[in-house]
Parts: sequence; structure tokens; C-alpha cells
Amino acid sequence: MSKVVTALLILSLSLPLLADKLPTDHAGRMKAGVALFQKTIRPALIDNCLKCHGDEKIRSGLDLSRRELLLEGGDTDDAINLKEPEKSYLLTLIRHKEEPEMPPKKSKLPDSLIADFQKWIALGAPYDKPLLEKKRAKPTEMQITASDRGFWSFRPLADFKPPAIQHPRIQNDLDRFTFAKLAEKNLAPNPPASDEARVRRAYLSVIGLPPTPAQLKSALSKPHPELIDELLASPHYGERWARHWLDAARFAESHGFEQDYDRKYAYHYRDFVIKALNSNMPWDQFIRWQLAGDEFAPDDPLAMMATGFLGAGVFPTQLTEKEFESARYDELDDMAATTGTAMLGLTIGCARCHDHKFDPIPVKDYYRFVSAFTTTIRSEIDIPLNSDSYRTSLEKWQRSNQSHKEALTAYENNPDTTKAFNKWLKRKAATNLSTSDWTTLGFIKTTSDQTSTILTLQPDGAILASGKAPAKETYTLSTKLGAHTIRFLRIEALTHSSMPGKGPGRASNGNFSLTDLKIFVSSPGKEIKTVTLASAQVTHEQNKTNLSAASSFDSDPNSTGWAVDAGGIGKDQAAVFRLSEPLVTGEKTTLELQLRFHTNTQHSLGRFRISISDRVSPPVQVGGGKNLKLEQALKVLLTGRLTEEHRKPLLQLFRQNDTHWNELNDTLQKSLNAKPKATTAKVQVTSEGFPPTKHHADGRGFPHFYPQTHFLSRGDPNQKKGVAQPGYLQVLMRNGKGENHWKEERPADWTRTSYRRRNLANWITDPENGAGHLLARVAVNRLWHHHFGQGIVATPNDFGLQGALPTHPDLLDFLAHKLITSGWNIKVLHREILLSATWLQSSELSAGKATIDPTNQFLWRFPSRRLEAEVIRDSILAASSQLDTTMFGPGTLDESHRRRSIYFMIKRSRLVPIMQVFDQPEPLVSQGSRPSTTIAPQALLFMNNPQVVQWARALAGQLDSSQPDKAIHELYLRTLTREPTAAELAESRAFFDSQSTSYSKNKNASQLALADLCQVMFSLNEFIYLP
Amino acid sequence: MNPTDFYTRRHWLQKAGAGLGGLGLASLLADEGLLGSNDPLAPKIAHFPGKAKSVIWLFINGGPSQVDTWDYKPELERMDGKELKGFDKNTGFFANAVGPLMKSPFEFTPRGECGKMVSSIFPKLGEHVDKMAFIHSGYTESNNHSPALFMMNSGLPRMGNPCVGSWVTYGLGSESRDLPAFVVMSDPLNRGLPKGSAANWGAGFLPSVYQGTWLKPKGDPIDNLNRPAHMNDAQQTRQLALLKKLNGGHLKTRPGDAELEARIKSFELAYRMQTAAPKAFDIEQEPEHVKKLYGIGEKRCDHVARQCLTARRMVERGVRFVQIYSGGMANQRSWDGHNDIQGNHSQFAGETDQPIAGLLTDLEQRGLLKDTLVIWGGEFGRLPLSQKAKKPGRDHNPHCFTTWMAGGGVKGGVSYGESDEIGHHAAVDKAHVNDIHATILHQLGFDHEKLTYTHNGRRFRLTDVGGNVIRPILA
Repeated sequence: MSKVVTALLILSLSLPLLADKLPTDHAGRMKAGVALFQKTIRPALIDNCLKCHGDEKIRSGLDLSRRELLLEGGDTDDAINLKEPEKSYLLTLIRHKEEPEMPPKKSKLPDSLIADFQKWIALGAPYDKPLLEKKRAKPTEMQITASDRGFWSFRPLADFKPPAIQHPRIQNDLDRFTFAKLAEKNLAPNPPASDEARVRRAYLSVIGLPPTPAQLKSALSKPHPELIDELLASPHYGERWARHWLDAARFAESHGFEQDYDRKYAYHYRDFVIKALNSNMPWDQFIRWQLAGDEFAPDDPLAMMATGFLGAGVFPTQLTEKEFESARYDELDDMAATTGTAMLGLTIGCARCHDHKFDPIPVKDYYRFVSAFTTTIRSEIDIPLNSDSYRTSLEKWQRSNQSHKEALTAYENNPDTTKAFNKWLKRKAATNLSTSDWTTLGFIKTTSDQTSTILTLQPDGAILASGKAPAKETYTLSTKLGAHTIRFLRIEALTHSSMPGKGPGRASNGNFSLTDLKIFVSSPGKEIKTVTLASAQVTHEQNKTNLSAASSFDSDPNSTGWAVDAGGIGKDQAAVFRLSEPLVTGEKTTLELQLRFHTNTQHSLGRFRISISDRVSPPVQVGGGKNLKLEQALKVLLTGRLTEEHRKPLLQLFRQNDTHWNELNDTLQKSLNAKPKATTAKVQVTSEGFPPTKHHADGRGFPHFYPQTHFLSRGDPNQKKGVAQPGYLQVLMRNGKGENHWKEERPADWTRTSYRRRNLANWITDPENGAGHLLARVAVNRLWHHHFGQGIVATPNDFGLQGALPTHPDLLDFLAHKLITSGWNIKVLHREILLSATWLQSSELSAGKATIDPTNQFLWRFPSRRLEAEVIRDSILAASSQLDTTMFGPGTLDESHRRRSIYFMIKRSRLVPIMQVFDQPEPLVSQGSRPSTTIAPQALLFMNNPQVVQWARALAGQLDSSQPDKAIHELYLRTLTREPTAAELAESRAFFDSQSTSYSKNKNASQLALADLCQVMFSLNEFIYLP
Repeated sequence: MNPTDFYTRRHWLQKAGAGLGGLGLASLLADEGLLGSNDPLAPKIAHFPGKAKSVIWLFINGGPSQVDTWDYKPELERMDGKELKGFDKNTGFFANAVGPLMKSPFEFTPRGECGKMVSSIFPKLGEHVDKMAFIHSGYTESNNHSPALFMMNSGLPRMGNPCVGSWVTYGLGSESRDLPAFVVMSDPLNRGLPKGSAANWGAGFLPSVYQGTWLKPKGDPIDNLNRPAHMNDAQQTRQLALLKKLNGGHLKTRPGDAELEARIKSFELAYRMQTAAPKAFDIEQEPEHVKKLYGIGEKRCDHVARQCLTARRMVERGVRFVQIYSGGMANQRSWDGHNDIQGNHSQFAGETDQPIAGLLTDLEQRGLLKDTLVIWGGEFGRLPLSQKAKKPGRDHNPHCFTTWMAGGGVKGGVSYGESDEIGHHAAVDKAHVNDIHATILHQLGFDHEKLTYTHNGRRFRLTDVGGNVIRPILA
């Protein structure tokens, strides 16, 4: 059987070879063809086709200017098929059998002309002469022309004045545009909606929740603008409108693909969007931060969170080596394509494999655009949250701390205090002369040879080591101690809470081992001398051999030395070393100690103190050291004149005994300890230079990014065509400006990121020379789309040549201009829309008006429509007083949770059924508008879903079932924002009664009946449609 | 068109463009007066009368080895144990476990009238080779499970594109008013979902109504099908009656709003579904001999037998597209035989052989096979080399796989294309995944280049920029 198949194929392969002969009547056909060409084809080509296919442009690679070029065809297909003329692609397109219909954005050519084209091709498609005289090389790259720039969405904004139309209903400028359009179409606006409908519509539109009966009452008593301002100021406004942007941003909280790992810290981006909208962040800043918040405001946690936008797309975490590079290019494409559609309404991603088929976006522009993201990756970093409460408490602390500081300083500087000190010096100071045999050394220099260790001198003369303990290290301490005789040197190993088991060592068990102790003395002009040690005594040592104090000055400087385990951990210890012979120091002698810790990993001393003694037999114990400087000062006090240097230790001693000073000082210390700490949060950011978010493919060495982005032929990473430098869409760079116009130099101390995204953001938000005008048009249109169900441009994600044309182009530009001139103030636009007579109309249908404008594109009524999944669920929760209004933070997959639906976690492999059934889109690519379907599973959900039943019961539980009529009244107000009609009341009451009877065996029959009624209310069309 | 029914309908027309606009969006249900013209699942007429009305796709999850199943390679026996010179170690998933060429551990014998050489792991399926059209030259674009699964299900090795079942449902709507149009069954033995899980039956950028309905392997297969426990039928019926009355009152203030009317009717439909769907899933209603035919009650294949029988009951009731995944997620819990290819394939063939054979017999006996396209195939093939392990396995092979189709206007007992002499690469008449998709769509009545959906400014189709119908296998 397979032989038959093979034979058939061979036959079909050989067919074309047979057919290449000229027909016998060739000359006659050519003559007829040329005549036809001159008569109709040539003018038709010049009028309709040549501009884009040979003259100004060579769209889709097709050049019609010469016959041989026509025969070459375009990128997609051969333009004409001489053997089977009927199959010519050119004919298919001019017959409008397929898209793109040709000529574009013009009416179809007359049938007779199309018939001529067919005849002409059948005759061999001859030309008498080229359509263009000049010979030109076929350009290899798409050229951006003046007419490309003239396309409506690429043009600069026009500052349209509202039409001068008079109408008693007109509320604002917006109405002047829409009412003028209605008048032009012989349409009249609907009468205003009822007050209840207006309030319900405002609540559902602005905050996504129905009003409570009390809110309704209050709203009815205030002017409409006041109500709108109140709603726009509600924190629920951000929760409602953030969801719209999250669709455009294809936001989700997992990687997708094989493992679909959670992105636990991605929710911060959702919170950013809510907060930005609530604070009415200027839209251009909103956009800039999402592209490069980490470069514009790296210290602002919100700006860092905003960068979640770029990294919200899918990523395959299980990769083979062969997929590494293409996966990275896919990721870059996701960033670029989403930026294009969400922000500019442009399908930039379509230019990945070839020049854009419809829009003036050459493939080169694509790769230059993409290259802005070359080194951009997803990371999870700790960010200090400068929350408002932290800032408030910090400011409060700073104020009180300052007052404590000032109180202490004031007391110290008080002349009375100085008097008391002087009195004390004369009468009491001398009694403080110590009798201790040990004198503690202060040091000029204390260092470790390992940079991670920090050595700090403490008030009691001890030295504390902090920082990460290195495996091995050596401390060097030096001092000038003046005239002294040294017979013994003592090292106290002291405990401290910062060490494991309180120390005294830094090892994981609190131990240390002093591998080697060396003492050097030097004086100016003299050789450095090593001081030798004779013997050692200890309070404790780990053993008598390799871990004894004696082994700290044996011949082995690398593996033996004093340690204190086996009973000595967690306690202060001391080792006393006798010098081989007494050392006499002078004023200029420098003493240097080297403490080497090499015996075992991290076995260095954590806290220690060095003392000396000139006695013949000083005690072997911890504590009791004299303060050298104080001792000297006291001696001077008795014998000579005190210098400022001498007064310092004396003053310190005086203060220690001054009760009032101690009180003030204690208060200050307590305050310092109570300094509020900023909480940090782990946040998923999309930035550069942070460690990449780890995943499965790391195990195979996935590099996360490649240092350069290349131009690729047909999108294939194996066909690189040179490195792409960052650049923007040529058609959106105006007034002769090039990339450099938006380029900012990085500050000298900024190296972590490249500033490429910052520059891109500068271009995208620049309405003068860059893409800002289109950004504004797209933003206005999204707002319009969500308020009126369809945008002024019906394709919110496509403002290109394939997209819909605006129904009210002047109004769109007027609003875009208003957005920019108001400082990109989105709430100004909301107000303009929500206060307009256009929005205030009733949604009533009118057969007459519908005949003129069946799709209501000119807005003769307010378009009633089904609410989104989130609003339906949130409305049920709100109506039954079950809504938990806690904002922000991690989401959940638990369908029974009671927070707003925006706080569902969005895990790509486990999308939430109640959201999906009401058309929440899959978060894979940017979505500009949701479909609104009517399917039986939606009805099943209302009928049988356990959550719906539970919430219906909760609602019933709040109504008084012993007074059914009153309960029904309340129920209507809560769910439908209105009173029931008499008929409705009667129907509902009858249902309640018969349902109660049917439950009569149950204890709570009337509650069950009422719950069933509540469930019916949730299922009503009126409940889930915008009035 | 009803003047008020603009939003949804306009949306559809815009999105579908010439793709479905050309089909006239014929809504048979609208004529019946059910959900109206904006019902996205109303049955529609395709581009031309298709041979098949529905599809049952047995997804051989994990990648079945062609040389151990249907692609007999005598040359591989001769070269057993030899190194394959010039082999790219990164072809499969484990570059460090590449072994020598390895012959199939299974015996091949000629089966059926056509004499097709079939592996001994398919004793029962071998009886049906005269119904099957084999494609031996399949190849795909990824050597990694989830991208290859996405490729096989949606035509691109990436997430975010509608899968075949979604395209078909979008194009044809549903014949069933009681059941979802597109259902998916996954492994019921707790071995997990296919890699990439729900994205394998996702609607991508198509409206979510076209996504596959995953039948839960345990408990109620579909959400919200059961009346609340506290309620009896009369009580729920009273609820629905009140709902209808109140909705009717609301509609009176908006006469002729088709969308509202449709929603009122959707509750009647839902009530019917609630009664009918559980019956459809209740295979216990089948006679004993039918259960036996599928292998129900046999320990090793009972679970797949139940799924295959459910699949028949689904297509019988007008379900458009059924997918059954054989095996679960992790290696060795599916056909992903990295270790012990012999044990692995014996086990999974054992789980599926009788149930699928039973399905083919049953469909044929009921006259359903002629308009049901049955597909057997996985996301890629396996290498003819061994993967080093205690008991040798085989690693992934994107360059070659075998798939077969039966029924639905496909010729029986034919083989299309060839792999090279050892089954490493597709060699003669190579069949890209797009070609397989084009063929499936063709059997359902679609020109794959014209079944399109406009999204974000681009007209998308299942076969992207490729696809040729594999005509030689068509009856």
C-alpha cells in the first residue's frame, strides 16, 4: 500500500516539468494583452497599487513597476499564476476573497475591471513599458514614508475644539462631540437614566461593587459630581480598574509550561497597579515605572514593584541546551510584544520574522526595540518597604530621640555640671585610683587580615569581632602605652550574645583556638624586636597538649593553640602569659600583638581584652583591669597639670557616678535601641544586575540572558545578522529626532543597569517627538472601552492598519490632548466621561434609532452589558455582606475566600473556574477586550455552585425571615439597588411561602426558603447587567 | 440580526473576520430558538462537508517509541550494539547517557490483510491495522516534553495558543446541548497530568468557552452538575420558575434584547444538562458484553477501558472532540521510557491495547467510526539508540515519530512516509505537525488556511504559516 502512495507523489512532483512550452498563438495573445494593459490595467495599477508596490514603497516585497518584478512576486506568494490565472493571488486579493483585501482601505474595484485583470493575466500579463521610468534597485529594507507617518494613529495629536453645538442636555465638552455626531446621523440621545440606575451604574462602573441601601440613600441626596468624586476617591476604585490593566499586562503569578512554578512575589505588581490608580499616578509615570521603575526611582519600593510588568509573561523552566537561546528570544519577544500592544496598541511582535505585513514596522525596528531588554531578567530581591506607617513612626522617633539627645547635651554643657565636675576632681577623684594588678591596654589599631571581620573597641576596653566569620584569620593590634614594665600579658576571652553559644569564640560551637600569639616592640630608629614568652596559666583550657595555652606560642603556628571547649564555652576565660624577661617600654615604644587563628574553621576570638601587669605574681582571673588612660590621668591629677586628653577619662568616670547624667543617658540609649526598623519584602522585579530567579533550567546552565541581541533572519537564533543596538519605531520618531534624543547618560556611580529601558520609556512617553501621543490615544481608548463597552477604536490592542478606525476621531484626540495637558491625569478623564450626558443616558432600546445605528457606535443610548466575572462574584459577596475588604498581599486559589476577586492568585495551570466561566481571559498574551458569552455552565454555577449557595444563606441570615415582606424589600435594595414592584413583591412572597412549606420538616424552613430566594436574586439578569 | 444584540455579535464578526464570517456563522441553534445567535457553541457549518463529525485522540503521553510499536526496522536489528557515528548528543534530554544503537526488544509479526508489521505489545490493536492509516514520517520542533506537547496540541512549541480541540469547537460549535463540546480525560491512577497540564487543552487567545473541559478522574467529572444537597427537584424547579418570571418582567422593559432572552433560556438548558450529563458519564448502563469488549474489570486496563467507553458515549451524544491521555506526568509514569523501555512500553501498551481495540470495534459496530476520526500518537518519538541505565531505555527523539488515524474518512491499511533505515529521522514524505493538524481539520471540513481568528492585529491559524493536508491517506 505504501508503494501506491509513493508513486502518486512522484507523479505530482514531475508535473511542472511538462508545462513550460509557449502556446502557439503567443504573438496574438501578447498583442491583445498589451492593448488591454494600456486601456485599463495600467491606469488601474497606477491609481490603486503603484504607490505601495513600486513607487514610494515595496510593501510585502511586491513591486509592480516592471513586468519582471511582478513575476518575481512578493514575500507571501507569487502575485500572478500564468499557468492557472484563476489561482493568481493578486486576483484573490482584489476580489476580496482573502485578506488583506486590495486595494486597502478603499472600496473594491469595479467587477469589469477585475474581469480585465483576469483576462490580462490569462493573456500573459504583458506590459508595454514599465510603470515607472526610473530604474531603481529593489530596496532590501522597508522604508518609512511620509504617508506612513500620515496614518491617523501615528499623526501628531490635533488640538480639536469641541463643535459649537447647542443642546439643553449637554454637560461638558465630551457631549459636544457625541451630540454633534448624533445630530449628524439624525439621532437623538436617550433621556437620562433613573436616579437609582445612575447610582447603581456609577458604583458598578467605578468601584465594581453595588451600593448598599444606606449608600444608595446617601447618593440620592447629593449632586452627581459629588458622588462621582467620592467613588473615584474610594480605594475600591483601584481594585476595580487595576483588573482591566492586568488583562492588558497578561499578569499571572506562575511561570507556566511544564512545572508552572509559582512566582510567590509577583503579587506586588498587582498591588502596584492598584496603588498607582488609587493615588492617581500620572499615566506617563505609570508607564515609565513599569518599563524602568528600577532606573527612574530605585529607592521607591513601588517603582521596583512596577517592573513586574515586563516579567509577567510565561517562561519554560525546563529547557534543553538546544532551547536556551530561542527561549530567551521568546522571552524578549514577550516583553516587546506586550509593551507594544498594551501601551501603544501596536502589534510590534508581528515584525519578528519579517517586516510587518500591514504596519510600517520593519523587522530591523523590531530587533532594535527588543534590544532595550537584552540584559533584563526576572529577580527576587528584598526591598525595604518605606511604608507610610514606617515613615510616620520613624519621624516620630527622630523627634523624640532628638529631644533626649538635646536633654543630655544640655545637662552636660550646663555650667553647674562643669562646676560639680571640677569640685569632684578636687575632692573625690583620687579615691578612684585602682588597686588592680592588671592594666587594660587600649589600642590605636585593631584589624583582621580578612575584610569580612570588623573589630570594635568597647567601653570596657574589650574588642568585639562582628561580620561574617572567615575560615581563618589573624588579628593585629597595636598601641603606644608609655613608660611601663611588663612582666605578664593577659588575654581575656569574653562571652557575648552575638556569638554561637555566647562564645567566647566565633566557631559554630562557640569555641576558638588561638593558634599563635606574637608580640613585637619597636621604637623610632630601632629594630623591631620579638618578645618571647616563657609560660602560661589559664582559668580553663581544652586540654594540656595541642589545645593548651602553652601551644599558642609553641613552634607550630598553624594547628595548635589555646581553646576552651570541654567545659569552658559560654563563660569568660583568661590566659596569662609570662614574658621570658621583663619588657621596659618608653613614651615612644609601640607594642604590636598578632593573634593568629588557623587551627580550625572560624575558630577566632569573638570578644577579648588584653591587659598587662608589672607584678611578679598577678592573679590568674577574669576582670579587675585598670584603665590605663584613667590611671595616668589620675596620677597627673595628683602630681601636675591636667591636659584636655587627661580630662576625658576623668569626665567619663565622673559621669558614671552622676545619677542624673545616667538617667538621661539611659533614656537616650533606650531610645536608640527602639529605632523603628523598616520591614523588607521579597519582591519579584524585572531589572538588570540582580541574581536571576532560580529555576529548573539552571541545573543545565541556562544563562538567563545573552549579552547582545542580534538581528535574526526569520526569527531563527541560528541565523544571526549582526548585533542590534537599541532603537525605537521609526514611524514614531518625529521632527528629525533619532534615538539619541531620548538617551540619558548614566550617573557615574550607577552601574547596575544599562539605562536602555529608561531611554525607551523616555521615548514612549514623549508626546512631542516620540510615541507619547499614541500612548495617550491608547490610554483614552481603554478608558472609553471600559465605560462604554467598546472603544472609540473598537480594537483597543490594535491601532495599526488592521485595526478599526475611530468612530469619533476628533473626540479621541481631544481627550488624549486633555490627558496630556492635565499632567496625564486619568481621573480627569473619568470625570469627563462620568459627568457627561452621554454617560448619563438611559440604556433604553429604541427600534427606530437602532435602524439608523444598530451597533450604537454613535452612542444614542448607554450600552447595557453583562458585568465581568470579578464584578459578578464581588457583587454577590457585597450584597450578602460577606466581602472581606482587606487589600493587597498574596492571593489565594481558594474559591471560598471572601476578598475581592482581584486577590485570586493567578496560577496558569489552575485558573479559577468561576472566573473562567465568565470569560476572564487566559493570562498568556495581552488582552484588550473580553468576550461576553452566554453559556449553560454559567447558569449551572448560579444554580448549584456551593459558594453561591453558601453566600445566599449568609445573605438570608441577615434578613428577618419572620417578616418576609420587609426582608424582600431589603433584599431588592441590597441586590438590585431598588424597591421591588408590587408584582415582584407578590411573586417573591408566593415563592417564599411555598418554599417554606416545602421545607416544613426542617427546623429553619423560613431561612432555607429565604436563602433560595436570595440565590434567585443572584441569578437574575438584572443583577449581572450594568443598568 | 437583532438590533440590540450588537456587542457580542459584533465582537464575533470582527474577530472571526473572513475566517468564520465566510461561513455565515450559521447558527442552527438560533433557528431552534435556544441560545440565540451569540451562542458561541451553536453548531456551525464548516468550509465544506467534512467526513468526520468528531475526534477521539488517544494521546500517547510521554512519547511512544516508533521502532518498538509500529515502525518495523530490520536494519536496526542488524546494527544492534553499534555506535551511531556523528550522533548529536543533545538530540535527546540526557546528553551524558547516550548508548549504542539498540534493536527493539519486541517481536514484530505481520497483521491484518495489509500485512502490517506490528510489535508484540499490541496483540489486540494488531487486529485493527486494516482500519489504520500510519504516518511514519512525523517530526516536531522540540526535544522537551511540554514544548512538544504544546506543539502537538496547538501547533507552536510555546504557551498561549489555542489547541486543536479549541479550534475545532470554535469552527464547528457543539452538537451536544447536554455535554461540553471538548472534553479531556487524564490519568486516573494518580500519576499526574501531562506536562504543561491545562495549557494542553487551553483556548489560548480564543474565548475561554472553547477550552477543553477536563473531566475530573475522581468524584463528579464536571463542576456544578449536582443540585444543592438541601434541595429536591421540586424546590429547584420552583426557583427556576420564579427566576424565569422575574427575568421576564425585566425583559419586558427591554423588549427584544436577544442576549437577555438567551440567558433566560440558558437556565432551561442548564437544567437539562444537569439531568442528562450524569447519565452520559454513567457507563454502568452499558451491557456486560460491551464492558467486556473494552476490558472493564481487567486489572491492568480497567482505567483506560472506562475512559474509552466514556469517549464513545460522548461522541454518540455529539461531543466534538475527546482527548484521552495515556499515562501521567513524571518519567516512567507515562510512555517516557528513559529506563527499561521494554518494561515501560509493555506496561503502557498493556493498559491501552484492549481498550483502544475495543473502542475501534464498538465504534465500527455502531456505525460511528465512519464519522469519528480516531488518532493515536504522542508528542514525539524515541531514539533508536539506548539510553544507558540498569535496564536500557530510550531518550526523546523530535526527528521522527509514528502516529496513526482511523475512521473519519481515512483509508485503512495504508502507511504514509518513511523513517530512515534505523528510525532515527523522518526520511520520505516528511510530515510536520502542521501537516497532521491540516489533515485533521480537513477531515472535519475545514480549509486550515481559512480557519482563522484575529487577535492583537494578526490573523492566527492552527497551522501558523505551514501545513499540507496529507491527502494520500484520505479515503
